[in-house]
Amino acid sequence: MRHYEIMVILDPSLEERTVAPSLDTYLNVIRTAGGSVEKLDVWGRRRLAFEIDKKAEGIYAVIDLQATPAAVAELDRQLRLNESVLRTKVIRPETR
Amino acid sequence: MAKAAALRKPKKKVNPLDKDGITYIDYKDTALLRKFISDRGKIRARRVTGVTSQQQRQIARAVKNAREMALLPYTATAR
Repeated sequence: MRHYEIMVILDPSLEERTVAPSLDTYLNVIRTAGGSVEKLDVWGRRRLAFEIDKKAEGIYAVIDLQATPAAVAELDRQLRLNESVLRTKVIRPETR
Repeated sequence: MAKAAALRKPKKKVNPLDKDGITYIDYKDTALLRKFISDRGKIRARRVTGVTSQQQRQIARAVKNAREMALLPYTATAR
């Protein structure tokens, strides 16, 4: 079990209040694999420093979780398959 | 004259991270990272920032992570 931090940039045309529930459904992958979600933080709409897919804004969300590497890799794969996910980043904050 | 300039003592810089007691450089903290990039978006050199080489590496990695997530620009067209 390791601590991971995942940042996701979502399509700005999504409704902001639907973001947390829909991300939560993805997080079931972690829970069924025995991991635990510590924090789901939706930053909301934020200006991008440069355009991604012709979009100037994005909805940012940061997820803190404890899980196995395989479970996180699967979560990241599923997120990337979703068209409304512009970008993801998985980080292990403890490793310098 | 030229000799005097060559012997000029460089002013000792204070380490901006130690001063604020920052031990972990988070790529999400763009306000902090902006202090270490130029107005063009380039990472400032260590001789400019005055941090240790270990900290400089952490800063560089944090800036690059932040760039990937569009939190900081790769290039800024100032002027």
